[in-house]
Amino acid sequence: MKASAVADEPASEREVTITRVFDAPARLLFEAYSKPEHIMRWFGPKGWPVTLCEMDFRVGGKFRFAMTGPSGRQNTPFGGTYQEIVPGRKIVYDNGFETKGAGRMLVTVTFDEFEPGKTRLTMHTLFDSIAMRNSHMSRGFEQGTNSGLDQLGDLAAELAARGA
Amino acid sequence: MSQAAIQNLDRVFAALSDPTRRAILARLAKGEATVNQLVEPFGFTQPTISKHLKVLESAGLVARGRAAQFRPVRLNALPLAGAAEWLGNYEQFWAESFDRLDTYVNGLQRKEKRHESKRRGR
Repeated sequence: MKASAVADEPASEREVTITRVFDAPARLLFEAYSKPEHIMRWFGPKGWPVTLCEMDFRVGGKFRFAMTGPSGRQNTPFGGTYQEIVPGRKIVYDNGFETKGAGRMLVTVTFDEFEPGKTRLTMHTLFDSIAMRNSHMSRGFEQGTNSGLDQLGDLAAELAARGA
Repeated sequence: MSQAAIQNLDRVFAALSDPTRRAILARLAKGEATVNQLVEPFGFTQPTISKHLKVLESAGLVARGRAAQFRPVRLNALPLAGAAEWLGNYEQFWAESFDRLDTYVNGLQRKEKRHESKRRGR
Protein backbone atom coordinates (compact mmCIF):
# COMPACT_ATOMS: atom_id res chain seq x y z
CA MET A 1 0.00 0.00 0.00
CA LYS A 2 1.32 3.35 -1.00
CA ALA A 3 1.74 5.89 1.76
CA SER A 4 -0.10 9.14 1.16
CA ALA A 5 3.00 11.28 1.24
CA VAL A 6 2.68 14.99 0.75
CA ALA A 7 4.49 15.04 -2.56
CA ASP A 8 6.00 18.50 -2.48
CA GLU A 9 7.47 18.24 0.98
CA PRO A 10 11.14 17.29 0.78
CA ALA A 11 12.12 14.04 2.46
CA SER A 12 14.86 15.82 4.37
CA GLU A 13 12.21 17.66 6.37
CA ARG A 14 10.08 14.59 7.01
CA GLU A 15 12.74 12.35 8.45
CA VAL A 16 14.35 11.61 11.77
CA THR A 17 17.51 9.57 12.28
CA ILE A 18 18.42 8.08 15.63
CA THR A 19 21.72 6.29 16.17
CA ARG A 20 23.02 4.19 19.04
CA VAL A 21 26.18 2.12 19.45
CA PHE A 22 25.72 -1.16 21.32
CA ASP A 23 28.32 -3.45 22.85
CA ALA A 24 26.71 -6.40 21.14
CA PRO A 25 26.99 -8.20 17.83
CA ALA A 26 24.61 -7.18 15.04
CA ARG A 27 23.32 -10.75 15.00
CA LEU A 28 21.88 -10.39 18.53
CA LEU A 29 20.36 -6.96 17.95
CA PHE A 30 18.70 -8.28 14.82
CA GLU A 31 17.46 -11.24 16.85
CA ALA A 32 16.00 -8.88 19.47
CA TYR A 33 13.95 -7.20 16.72
CA SER A 34 12.79 -10.42 15.11
CA LYS A 35 10.76 -12.28 17.76
CA PRO A 36 7.83 -11.22 19.95
CA GLU A 37 9.32 -12.76 23.10
CA HIS A 38 12.29 -10.42 22.65
CA ILE A 39 10.30 -7.34 21.58
CA MET A 40 8.14 -7.60 24.67
CA ARG A 41 11.24 -7.38 26.83
CA TRP A 42 12.68 -4.15 25.46
CA PHE A 43 10.37 -2.21 23.14
CA GLY A 44 8.99 1.07 24.48
CA PRO A 45 9.93 3.36 27.32
CA LYS A 46 9.99 2.24 30.95
CA GLY A 47 6.50 1.98 32.37
CA TRP A 48 4.94 1.31 28.96
CA PRO A 49 5.11 -2.45 28.43
CA VAL A 50 4.10 -3.98 25.11
CA THR A 51 0.93 -5.88 25.97
CA LEU A 52 -0.12 -6.79 22.44
CA CYS A 53 2.58 -8.19 20.20
CA GLU A 54 1.62 -10.02 17.06
CA MET A 55 4.27 -10.39 14.41
CA ASP A 56 4.90 -12.37 11.29
CA PHE A 57 8.55 -11.62 10.75
CA ARG A 58 9.06 -12.12 7.02
CA VAL A 59 8.89 -9.84 4.00
CA GLY A 60 5.21 -9.04 3.47
CA GLY A 61 4.35 -10.22 6.99
CA LYS A 62 2.51 -7.92 9.37
CA PHE A 63 3.09 -6.80 12.92
CA ARG A 64 0.74 -5.24 15.43
CA PHE A 65 1.77 -3.91 18.84
CA ALA A 66 0.11 -1.99 21.62
CA MET A 67 1.49 -0.67 24.85
CA THR A 68 -0.14 -0.20 28.22
CA GLY A 69 0.69 2.98 30.08
CA PRO A 70 0.84 3.70 33.78
CA SER A 71 -2.95 4.28 33.83
CA GLY A 72 -3.42 0.56 33.05
CA ARG A 73 -5.32 1.24 29.84
CA GLN A 74 -4.01 -0.28 26.63
CA ASN A 75 -3.18 2.39 24.08
CA THR A 76 -4.21 2.45 20.43
CA PRO A 77 -2.49 -0.40 18.57
CA PHE A 78 -0.02 0.40 15.83
CA GLY A 79 1.59 -1.72 13.19
CA GLY A 80 2.45 -2.33 9.59
CA THR A 81 4.22 -4.63 7.19
CA TYR A 82 7.81 -5.82 6.97
CA GLN A 83 9.05 -4.61 3.61
CA GLU A 84 12.66 -5.72 3.58
CA ILE A 85 14.61 -8.07 5.83
CA VAL A 86 18.35 -8.68 5.48
CA PRO A 87 19.32 -11.02 8.34
CA GLY A 88 21.75 -9.41 10.75
CA ARG A 89 21.88 -6.19 8.73
CA LYS A 90 18.64 -4.45 7.95
CA ILE A 91 14.89 -4.33 8.60
CA VAL A 92 12.49 -2.04 6.76
CA TYR A 93 8.85 -1.71 7.82
CA ASP A 94 6.05 0.76 7.63
CA ASN A 95 4.24 1.71 10.79
CA GLY A 96 1.36 3.81 12.03
CA PHE A 97 -1.36 4.01 14.63
CA GLU A 98 -4.71 2.38 13.96
CA THR A 99 -6.44 5.73 14.19
CA LYS A 100 -8.53 7.21 11.41
CA GLY A 101 -6.44 9.67 9.45
CA ALA A 102 -3.22 8.75 11.23
CA GLY A 103 -0.22 9.08 8.98
CA ARG A 104 2.26 6.35 8.15
CA MET A 105 5.97 6.20 8.62
CA LEU A 106 8.58 4.15 6.85
CA VAL A 107 11.24 2.89 9.22
CA THR A 108 14.64 1.55 8.19
CA VAL A 109 16.73 -0.07 10.90
CA THR A 110 20.32 -0.93 9.98
CA PHE A 111 22.80 -2.86 12.09
CA ASP A 112 26.44 -2.09 11.33
CA GLU A 113 28.91 -4.19 13.29
CA PHE A 114 31.88 -1.91 12.71
CA GLU A 115 34.13 -4.00 14.92
CA PRO A 116 33.48 -7.42 16.40
CA GLY A 117 30.90 -7.11 19.17
CA LYS A 118 30.27 -3.40 18.54
CA THR A 119 27.27 -2.43 16.48
CA ARG A 120 25.96 0.89 15.33
CA LEU A 121 22.18 0.76 15.08
CA THR A 122 20.67 3.47 12.89
CA MET A 123 16.94 4.01 12.86
CA HIS A 124 15.73 6.20 10.07
CA THR A 125 12.08 7.24 10.08
CA LEU A 126 10.45 8.88 7.10
CA PHE A 127 7.09 10.41 7.98
CA ASP A 128 4.24 11.06 5.53
CA SER A 129 4.43 14.78 6.09
CA ILE A 130 6.36 17.46 7.94
CA ALA A 131 3.30 17.99 10.12
CA MET A 132 3.28 14.33 11.11
CA ARG A 133 6.97 14.34 11.84
CA ASN A 134 6.60 17.36 14.05
CA SER A 135 3.59 16.01 15.85
CA HIS A 136 5.49 12.82 16.62
CA MET A 137 8.53 14.74 17.68
CA SER A 138 6.45 16.90 19.94
CA ARG A 139 3.27 14.91 20.56
CA GLY A 140 0.42 17.28 19.88
CA PHE A 141 2.31 20.44 19.21
CA GLU A 142 0.19 22.24 16.64
CA GLN A 143 1.39 22.93 13.15
CA GLY A 144 2.31 26.48 12.32
CA THR A 145 5.63 26.87 14.00
CA ASN A 146 7.21 24.20 11.84
CA SER A 147 10.01 26.22 10.38
CA GLY A 148 11.75 27.13 13.58
CA LEU A 149 11.16 23.85 15.29
CA ASP A 150 14.57 22.22 15.01
CA GLN A 151 16.38 25.37 15.88
CA LEU A 152 13.92 25.87 18.68
CA GLY A 153 14.51 22.41 20.07
CA ASP A 154 18.24 23.01 20.05
CA LEU A 155 17.85 26.36 21.72
CA ALA A 156 15.48 25.01 24.33
CA ALA A 157 17.71 22.07 25.14
CA GLU A 158 20.79 24.24 25.29
CA LEU A 159 19.18 26.81 27.56
CA ALA A 160 17.54 24.22 29.76
CA ALA A 161 20.85 22.39 30.11
CA ARG A 162 22.47 25.59 31.26
CA GLY A 163 19.79 25.83 33.91
CA ALA A 164 19.78 29.59 33.56
CA MET B 1 0.78 16.56 32.49
CA SER B 2 -1.81 18.82 34.11
CA GLN B 3 -4.13 21.12 32.20
CA ALA B 4 -2.34 24.15 33.59
CA ALA B 5 1.02 22.75 32.53
CA ILE B 6 -0.29 22.12 29.02
CA GLN B 7 -1.65 25.65 28.80
CA ASN B 8 1.66 27.00 29.93
CA LEU B 9 3.41 24.86 27.34
CA ASP B 10 1.15 26.43 24.70
CA ARG B 11 2.29 29.85 25.83
CA VAL B 12 5.93 28.76 25.82
CA PHE B 13 5.67 27.44 22.26
CA ALA B 14 3.74 30.50 21.10
CA ALA B 15 6.43 32.69 22.64
CA LEU B 16 9.18 30.64 21.01
CA SER B 17 7.55 30.69 17.57
CA ASP B 18 8.93 34.15 16.79
CA PRO B 19 12.54 34.56 15.63
CA THR B 20 12.98 37.91 17.42
CA ARG B 21 11.83 36.43 20.70
CA ARG B 22 14.20 33.48 20.25
CA ALA B 23 17.01 35.93 19.59
CA ILE B 24 16.10 37.85 22.73
CA LEU B 25 16.23 34.62 24.76
CA ALA B 26 19.57 33.69 23.22
CA ARG B 27 20.87 37.13 24.18
CA LEU B 28 19.54 36.79 27.74
CA ALA B 29 21.12 33.36 28.03
CA LYS B 30 24.44 35.22 28.06
CA GLY B 31 23.32 37.43 30.91
CA GLU B 32 20.62 39.88 31.96
CA ALA B 33 20.06 43.05 29.97
CA THR B 34 18.02 46.22 30.17
CA VAL B 35 15.36 46.92 27.58
CA ASN B 36 17.63 49.57 26.04
CA GLN B 37 20.42 47.04 25.74
CA LEU B 38 18.00 44.77 23.90
CA VAL B 39 16.83 47.53 21.57
CA GLU B 40 20.29 48.16 20.13
CA PRO B 41 21.22 44.80 18.58
CA PHE B 42 17.79 44.06 17.12
CA GLY B 43 17.09 47.33 15.41
CA PHE B 44 13.52 47.45 16.66
CA THR B 45 11.84 50.27 18.52
CA GLN B 46 11.53 50.05 22.25
CA PRO B 47 7.74 49.47 22.13
CA THR B 48 8.29 46.53 19.79
CA ILE B 49 10.88 44.98 22.10
CA SER B 50 8.60 45.63 25.06
CA LYS B 51 5.75 43.89 23.27
CA HIS B 52 7.95 40.84 22.68
CA LEU B 53 9.10 40.90 26.30
CA LYS B 54 5.46 40.89 27.47
CA VAL B 55 4.86 37.69 25.50
CA LEU B 56 8.01 36.10 26.94
CA GLU B 57 7.03 37.22 30.40
CA SER B 58 3.53 35.77 30.19
CA ALA B 59 5.11 32.45 29.21
CA GLY B 60 7.30 32.69 32.29
CA LEU B 61 10.44 32.78 30.18
CA VAL B 62 11.74 36.10 31.43
CA ALA B 63 11.41 38.07 34.62
CA ARG B 64 11.85 41.80 35.07
CA GLY B 65 11.26 44.55 37.56
CA ARG B 66 8.52 47.16 37.60
CA ALA B 67 10.52 50.02 36.08
CA ALA B 68 10.91 48.08 32.90
CA GLN B 69 13.24 50.43 31.08
CA PHE B 70 15.89 50.38 33.76
CA ARG B 71 15.46 47.07 35.50
CA PRO B 72 17.34 44.27 33.83
CA VAL B 73 15.46 41.48 32.10
CA ARG B 74 16.48 38.00 33.17
CA LEU B 75 16.02 34.68 31.46
CA ASN B 76 14.04 32.06 33.30
CA ALA B 77 14.86 28.77 31.56
CA LEU B 78 12.67 26.53 33.69
CA PRO B 79 9.70 26.46 31.26
CA LEU B 80 12.14 25.59 28.49
CA ALA B 81 12.96 22.33 30.20
CA GLY B 82 9.32 21.31 29.80
CA ALA B 83 9.36 22.43 26.18
CA ALA B 84 12.55 20.50 25.46
CA GLU B 85 11.06 17.41 27.07
CA TRP B 86 7.97 17.77 24.95
CA LEU B 87 9.94 18.31 21.77
CA GLY B 88 12.22 15.38 22.39
CA ASN B 89 9.35 12.93 22.68
CA TYR B 90 10.04 10.61 19.74
CA GLU B 91 13.74 10.59 20.43
CA GLN B 92 13.05 10.02 24.11
CA PHE B 93 10.89 7.03 23.29
CA TRP B 94 13.75 5.46 21.38
CA ALA B 95 16.43 6.51 23.82
CA GLU B 96 14.58 4.64 26.57
CA SER B 97 13.79 1.69 24.32
CA PHE B 98 17.42 1.44 23.27
CA ASP B 99 18.54 1.56 26.90
CA ARG B 100 16.34 -1.44 27.52
CA LEU B 101 17.51 -3.13 24.33
CA ASP B 102 21.10 -2.62 25.46
CA THR B 103 20.41 -4.35 28.76
CA TYR B 104 18.45 -7.07 27.05
CA VAL B 105 21.01 -7.97 24.37
CA ASN B 106 23.73 -7.95 27.00
CA GLY B 107 21.63 -10.53 28.85
CA LEU B 108 21.30 -12.57 25.66
CA GLN B 109 25.02 -12.33 25.14
CA ARG B 110 25.77 -13.54 28.66
CA LYS B 111 23.50 -16.51 28.14
CA GLU B 112 25.44 -17.39 25.00
CA LYS B 113 28.77 -17.07 26.73
CA ARG B 114 27.79 -18.83 29.92
CA HIS B 115 30.93 -20.96 29.77
CA GLU B 116 33.11 -17.87 29.90
CA SER B 117 33.66 -16.19 33.21
CA LYS B 118 31.64 -13.01 33.40
CA ARG B 119 33.41 -9.77 32.59
CA ARG B 120 34.01 -7.46 35.45
CA GLY B 121 31.53 -4.66 35.89
CA ARG B 122 29.24 -5.72 33.07
